[in-house]
Amino acid sequence: MISGWELVIGIEIHAQVKSKSKLFSSSSTEFGSGPNSQVSLVDAAMPGMLPVINKFCVEQAVRSGIGLNAQINKKSIFDRKNYFYQDLPQGYQISQFKDPIVGNGFIEIETDGQSKKVGIERLHLEQDAGKSLHDQDPNLTFVDLNRSGIALMEIVSMPDMKSPEEAVEYVKKVRSILRYLDTCDGNMEQGSLRADVNVSVNKPGDDLGTRCEIKNLNSFKYIHSAIIYEAKRQIKLIESGENIIQETRLYNIDSGETRSMRSKEDAHDYRYFPDPDLLPLILEDDWIKKIRSSIPELPDQKKERFIREYSLSEYDSSVIVSDKSTSDYYEKVVKDRNPKLVTTWVTSELFSVLNKKNLSIDESPISPNHLGELIDNIDSGKISSRQAKDIFEEMCETGESANNIINEKGLSQISDEGELEKLVDNVISSNAENVEKYKNGKDKLFGFFVGEAMKLSKGKANPKVLNELLKSKLNT
Amino acid sequence: MKFDKDSLYKLGKLSKIQIDESKLKSLSSDLGSIIEFIDRLKSIDTENVDPTSNSLDQSLVMREDIASDVNTANEILENAPQKELDFFSVPKVIE
Repeated sequence: MISGWELVIGIEIHAQVKSKSKLFSSSSTEFGSGPNSQVSLVDAAMPGMLPVINKFCVEQAVRSGIGLNAQINKKSIFDRKNYFYQDLPQGYQISQFKDPIVGNGFIEIETDGQSKKVGIERLHLEQDAGKSLHDQDPNLTFVDLNRSGIALMEIVSMPDMKSPEEAVEYVKKVRSILRYLDTCDGNMEQGSLRADVNVSVNKPGDDLGTRCEIKNLNSFKYIHSAIIYEAKRQIKLIESGENIIQETRLYNIDSGETRSMRSKEDAHDYRYFPDPDLLPLILEDDWIKKIRSSIPELPDQKKERFIREYSLSEYDSSVIVSDKSTSDYYEKVVKDRNPKLVTTWVTSELFSVLNKKNLSIDESPISPNHLGELIDNIDSGKISSRQAKDIFEEMCETGESANNIINEKGLSQISDEGELEKLVDNVISSNAENVEKYKNGKDKLFGFFVGEAMKLSKGKANPKVLNELLKSKLNT
Repeated sequence: MKFDKDSLYKLGKLSKIQIDESKLKSLSSDLGSIIEFIDRLKSIDTENVDPTSNSLDQSLVMREDIASDVNTANEILENAPQKELDFFSVPKVIE
């Protein structure tokens, strides 16, 4: 990226478990409810309240661990991470320190057609904190505890990434895997998945540099630009003879800069100790086995299968499987249909409409069934590709099905030879003079006959069949 | 054993508790004796004992994922010393 320097990047992803209730209480996790409306006495840390763990959240952590090719620890322990902050009523976060539920694993990422393994150090379960609003009042900070106690999976990577592109691909891949597993909805805008990025720089051959952690990045774009900014900042400091201080920094999305988050500097002494309210979490072999057998096909496997079954290119397959909803959509359309036609229509026509309207595939104005119906009509020759594009556009606007539009507008192509033959005969008999000229060598007149026949069919004649018929009739 | 001044200040800072200079001596000796008492545990040989072993010999009990607490705002905010628009409000925290 910057010549003469190497980058080392490690990432912590916080992924919210897709559960109905919180990790240690039965408050709802629904997004967007009124402030403090989903706070139980446990979440508010009322004296004497005891945490009871949510089985579903434990299961999702195990599922995610399996999806990350990681070791599942049959015994794990919950610890208290102590710090004082207004959005943490307990005064400590229940997390896992020495003995996480998931240990070492790895995933494969791809940049510029090169694939690479990125190590996973661990995945552990912990509570989310509440939310502070600093901009509602000049003198006060407002606190909403709805998020307090929601289950998070913290996924820690090895420092295996060397460029902002690799970092982004890593987060994309983890997000994709979690979405396939359905353990986290991956909604970055709502904060269901966010990344803390550790960046350091060093000269090739030198020891690793001192790292800085950039907190709470919730888009791929921010991850990319925050890493570039931070690397440049560190290089500039080192080149001017200064030292990097290990610290936590915040990324400003407006200026594109990172700045030191001094308030947390003293807070690094977390005084972890096992939570006396929670016994060790012991997982039974049978239960883990049952979870393992319920793991769905994951993106890498699906990519290979799509290449094999539908003859997709590496590239098309990567694009389609990278998002679970897209691959589901594709597979619904491609079932019992011509894969080549389906791939073209999904990756070019449909994607370009979605991009233009800034919609996700789940919000697609055209359902898989409707797109399939359109493709059936193309494949059977009932409509031409030209007509299909117009129909497609109308489907986007009205949400109507292809068949309805074709019937309503009488758009269907005439491919029936008998019917077309009548047309051709008609054209030949009413243009006897031109037929003579054509037979005497003026073969440019062929286009004229095609045009006349098309006119008669009101543009509905199948051009291929029409051409063949005309040729055989005129040349005898 | 006494709890030294620096540790005492650090602990106070981490817990956001202001420690009055005049209380320093008594606090230091009070906390010191608590730690001394706890430290007696160190004399027990725990070489082969699991740090989280317990006399119950049982694992964490799990509950099903059912959301049941709803519309808690009034109840939860009842004890708040200060509130605004269903939020807890605290002196401005600047990052």
